[in-house]
Amino acid sequence: MTATPMTTTDAGAAASAQAGTRRSGNPFAMLRRALVYVLLSIAAFVSVFPFFWMIVGTTNTSADIIRGKASFGSAFFDNAATFFTQVDALRVFWNSAVIAIVGTVLTLAISSLAGYSFEMFRSKVRERIFALLLLLLSIPFAALMVPLFVMFAQAKLVNTYVAVILPTVASIFIIFYFRQATKAFPSELRDAAKIDGLKEWQIFLYVYLPVMRSTYAAATIIIFMANWNNYLWPLIVLQTAENKTITLIVSALTSAYTPDYGMILFGTVLATLPTLIIFFLLQRRFVEGMLGAVK
Amino acid sequence: MPQARLDRREHITGWAFIAPALILLGLFMIYPIVWSLWMSFQVGKGMNLSFGGLANIERLTKDAVFQRALGNTFIFFIVQVPIMIGLALLFAVALNDSTLRFRGLFRTAIFLPCVTSLIAYSTLFKSMFATNGVVKNALMTLHLTDGPIPWLTDPFWAKILIIIAITWRWTGYNMIFYLAALQNIDRSIYEAARIDGVPAWARFRYLTIPMLKPVILFTTVISTIGTLQLFDEVQNITQGGPSDATLTLSLYIYNLTFKFMPSFGYSATVSWVIVVLVGILSFIQFLIARDRRSA
Amino acid sequence: MNRIVSRRVRALGLALTGVSFLSVASAMAGDVTVWAWDPNFNGATMTEAAARYTAINPGANIIIDDSASQDDIRAKLQTQLLAGSTDGLPDIVLIQDDVAQKYLQSFPGAFEPLSDTIDMSVFAQYKVAAATLDGKSYSLPFDSGVTGLFYRSDYLEQAGFTADDLKDITWDRLVEIGTTVKEKTGHKLLDLDLNDTGVIRMMIQSAGKWYFAEDGSLDIIDNAPLKKALETYAKFYQADLVNPVSSWAEYTGSFTSGNTAMVPVGVWITGTIKANADQSGLWGVAPVPRLDIEGSVNASNQGGSSWYVLASSDNKEEAIDFLKTVWGSDVDFYQQILVNQGAVGSLLAARDGEAYKASDAFFSGQPVWQDFSTWLSQIPSVDYGTFTAEVDDAVKAQLPGIIQGGDVTAALQAINDQASQQMQ
Repeated sequence: MTATPMTTTDAGAAASAQAGTRRSGNPFAMLRRALVYVLLSIAAFVSVFPFFWMIVGTTNTSADIIRGKASFGSAFFDNAATFFTQVDALRVFWNSAVIAIVGTVLTLAISSLAGYSFEMFRSKVRERIFALLLLLLSIPFAALMVPLFVMFAQAKLVNTYVAVILPTVASIFIIFYFRQATKAFPSELRDAAKIDGLKEWQIFLYVYLPVMRSTYAAATIIIFMANWNNYLWPLIVLQTAENKTITLIVSALTSAYTPDYGMILFGTVLATLPTLIIFFLLQRRFVEGMLGAVK
Repeated sequence: MPQARLDRREHITGWAFIAPALILLGLFMIYPIVWSLWMSFQVGKGMNLSFGGLANIERLTKDAVFQRALGNTFIFFIVQVPIMIGLALLFAVALNDSTLRFRGLFRTAIFLPCVTSLIAYSTLFKSMFATNGVVKNALMTLHLTDGPIPWLTDPFWAKILIIIAITWRWTGYNMIFYLAALQNIDRSIYEAARIDGVPAWARFRYLTIPMLKPVILFTTVISTIGTLQLFDEVQNITQGGPSDATLTLSLYIYNLTFKFMPSFGYSATVSWVIVVLVGILSFIQFLIARDRRSA
Repeated sequence: MNRIVSRRVRALGLALTGVSFLSVASAMAGDVTVWAWDPNFNGATMTEAAARYTAINPGANIIIDDSASQDDIRAKLQTQLLAGSTDGLPDIVLIQDDVAQKYLQSFPGAFEPLSDTIDMSVFAQYKVAAATLDGKSYSLPFDSGVTGLFYRSDYLEQAGFTADDLKDITWDRLVEIGTTVKEKTGHKLLDLDLNDTGVIRMMIQSAGKWYFAEDGSLDIIDNAPLKKALETYAKFYQADLVNPVSSWAEYTGSFTSGNTAMVPVGVWITGTIKANADQSGLWGVAPVPRLDIEGSVNASNQGGSSWYVLASSDNKEEAIDFLKTVWGSDVDFYQQILVNQGAVGSLLAARDGEAYKASDAFFSGQPVWQDFSTWLSQIPSVDYGTFTAEVDDAVKAQLPGIIQGGDVTAALQAINDQASQQMQ
């Protein structure tokens, strides 16, 4: 993918300043602007409404939710109490957190190293390998599950966090993402560091990593989300209740003989909270990070 | 980006940095895939397997359910991907205007859906689109429909629902890529075009689109793979029904392995169909990309 | 910059040392682990059973995991049996009767035959038959799926009917009653989910028929009960008596919120209905209608499951002894799970207990458990075979066409074609 030319800042700023003064007063421009606001408002409403619905749901009884009640109720504490008596929340949160955090750190380390290397040290063989990896990206996980399970069973690792985390750590998508982002990494920085006598691993750790922190922030969100929401593989490989993640537990609640909607929605809010928090913490860096990936 | 020839040490570093990822991918991806390639020549039930040559391929050609799943996957691909990419582009262009108010708010809101946990998202969509759900109430209040739309119980509408669900969840994600790319584009080109009296639609068509082409290609590839792997939504919202209207290839593989009388050889064959399909699609995309370069 | 870097390195190091602590010990030897799928139903009954057993055998430790759904348990079981790995499997697992033969036949040797050590004649015979292969029975029968027609007695009354009008009727007669009920009260007769063949299966089993012939081969095209069942299914829609639903939650939500007049379903739904205490006195149960053909009776089955012991278990003797001691003979235990969970067990002797004779205020004093016991003894036994899931999917594929008035004979042909393709 090609890099875009550098901006001629002064000309651009002057032009948009000019445009800014001219814009006010033009009825067509104003109409268009109004349309843009309407469009974006609708999009934002549609995007956010289900969240509102979910939060309203946590305050209503199961019966009210089924009737489609869309206003706040008073059952919030009952729902919370039911949830906490039925689910060992601390335990499942701990499991989810360990899996998601350790998984994210390891994925960042291993996959960014590989992405960096694929871009920085190009060779014919490595290019071929990269092309092959892109093809493998498309294989549905369901197809790999049985052989994977056999491997972990032979290694006596079934029902461990290791078994959940390890297969996700080398992520082709994240390698791909870091390779794209590395294209924007100024090679002069590397050359300068080499002249200063830094070894390759030092360049990666002390130069590349700090410069690319936005890219890492964006990747953190993507990987954390994927790990936190991972369903199929943890379902198969985690056997005992005390090792299960919040995603598995909440999902099972929905298929009880007598599903308690209020309690389930309380659980889904709880299960969504950590990814939301991570997103809001890293949000500014996230957009910058995505920017790097598409240059 | 042109790269100087690598020296010996860089070559070694190149391999060393990739090694951890390659070892893990070899273990947890390549090995299971090769295993499943071998399995695709096996026939039999459960653990009683024997070599069947091309019997599974032959079975595939007569399998109406497989053809339905393939057809559905293609419909989702052909209908949903363009809608999503179009909307994402539209929002990105609208949000790229630096004089727009509440940009951050709109951007965050539209991005929010892709941070939801899968379980929250599927529970919400099922309840909102239930026969007497909040969507029906809203549409009837707005007099857009005079009766409930059978979102989940009619083959046609169930497909639409899945398309709505995926679009809801992933439009913001794609939008961020475009937004990031747009911010890279030299503003002065736009202003020059504007001063020359080029209308907005033409600026979009002849300036924005060509400059975003690499990113559009990137997101198209990612969405193509996402569609071919489509599993979470259909498994959790419609279970592939009604009447297999939302059955996808991934869900069919899951059913063959875990729901039906286990015939693992056959489900491995279906997995390999996806690999071959992606191979073909990637090749087409490669040809398009090469055309662009030579033009 | 250096300080930041070293902090990062330290953080990374910390994370890596963390990995070595990640292995979690699995259940200790000597424990008996059990998989069930609903903490308020079968999980709760197992907890009660475990408490009774540990009271007699203080050394025993029975661990119940009811944190996964039934689908999840099937996926886990199937993966591990396919992988030939037994490490992660429990000692006892709950399996629904209609998929039991699939497991028994495709994974020979994976389950422990119980008929050698436990006398199977004390259980309802149709339950034992579902888990019998080559003369050996592999399960300790748990709950019965004996069906009843649960109905809102207030709606029925408003429409001018009495409870007797629902006794021993045909489905065709129910369509007529349902039409009147809808005219008078505005409530539709049934909830139906096009992704679920429960009602159709209930209908064909009442005629002693399933999807297969005696030798296990497909029997669809000349399957008269199936044809009649599909025609009846279409009638519900043509008479506009159906609230369409599309998930378990929506299904239960519709009848517990008073939308729907009646629910033909397995007895295990009782707990769900009674969970709405404000509807006490508004419900009754009638025998399930029969098909209007020769051989169909007013009794059938839906769901129901049984306990299986894994042959790989390290604690087979203890697991079997546990099942035998509590589930195989404790009549009082069965009274308690009936009262607390609404679980109708399969131990015949339990039927003579106090709880089974009691009448239920929620059902306006109807002796519901006695009624269910009566119907239970009349359920025709059928062989569920090994390909029920495949045929179910083939049936589901035709339902949207059938309810729009499509030709049932053609649909049977299509079901036959798809199912025979899938049964390779």
